Amino acid sequence: MKNEELDHIIEKSFRTEPGFHLSTDFAQKVVFTVVRREQWKTDLREYLYLMGVLLSLLALVSGFFYFVDKDFVLKTFAFLTSNIVPVISVVFILNFIFFADKVLLRLLFSRWSKT
Amino acid sequence: MNDSELINQILSGNMNAFTFLVNRYQKLVVHITGRLIQRQDELEDVCQDVFLKVFQNLGKYRNECKLSTWIATIAYNTSINYLRKFKKGDEVNPDDSAVLRNLTEYKSNDFERTDLHRYIRDQIELLPVHYRTVLTLYYLEEFSYQEIEQITDMPEGTVKSYLFRAKALLKEKLKIVVDEDSLKLVKEISNEK
Repeated sequence: MKNEELDHIIEKSFRTEPGFHLSTDFAQKVVFTVVRREQWKTDLREYLYLMGVLLSLLALVSGFFYFVDKDFVLKTFAFLTSNIVPVISVVFILNFIFFADKVLLRLLFSRWSKT
Repeated sequence: MNDSELINQILSGNMNAFTFLVNRYQKLVVHITGRLIQRQDELEDVCQDVFLKVFQNLGKYRNECKLSTWIATIAYNTSINYLRKFKKGDEVNPDDSAVLRNLTEYKSNDFERTDLHRYIRDQIELLPVHYRTVLTLYYLEEFSYQEIEQITDMPEGTVKSYLFRAKALLKEKLKIVVDEDSLKLVKEISNEK
């Protein structure tokens, strides 16, 4: 066989696609996986927005009551500061339940469902 | 839609743009990954891993190289890591004597039953991983030597040397296996197709 002929055949074979293939819905599968993997970021953002809204509302209501009934607000503040440990515990537990519901459990279920 | 528009769309959260990117570059990724790992059953998972890395690192992409080169680099590194993790080290580090042993295991009778291009394709799959990589990137994906250097981190001289040696090895083998009669048969088969 001539050398150039052999070169031509070899180069043509090099340019031939190998026989590997992906499923027809590969792109959809990848996007689905990406969305699922990135979902926790959206969930966390949503949780932080909700916390922000909640704290803003609390501040707004406190401010309103401060002008309407100053004594009531001061008494409430004194009560909270005198029971600081139970108050912090309750706030922490409620916050954790809210965080678990909005972010943590969704993330864990998503990881478990992958395996 | 060009690549920079596509990237901007993806970074602003448009998942349809990402689907478009996957469709545009999945052939490139499957060629590189398939040639390197050579396992159809694992191919989809590795390719998916490549595109996940593409998505996660897209914000770090700077227009220093073409998007295809950048994606090919991720595909190459992911596949090499897969090989290091699941296959023997000699698959990653080529040794010419082992290559020759592999190639000469083929019997000439095998050739007569199939066509030459298919036979050469089978022989390519027997080459070490770095040879297969540069052949795929240079001939199939038509990257330049500089781009292959960027993708694989191999010096340009090494890339050229691998290309030359891979071609020479296959040529030597074919000179032994393919005689004039067989060539006629190949031409007939090719013409029929």
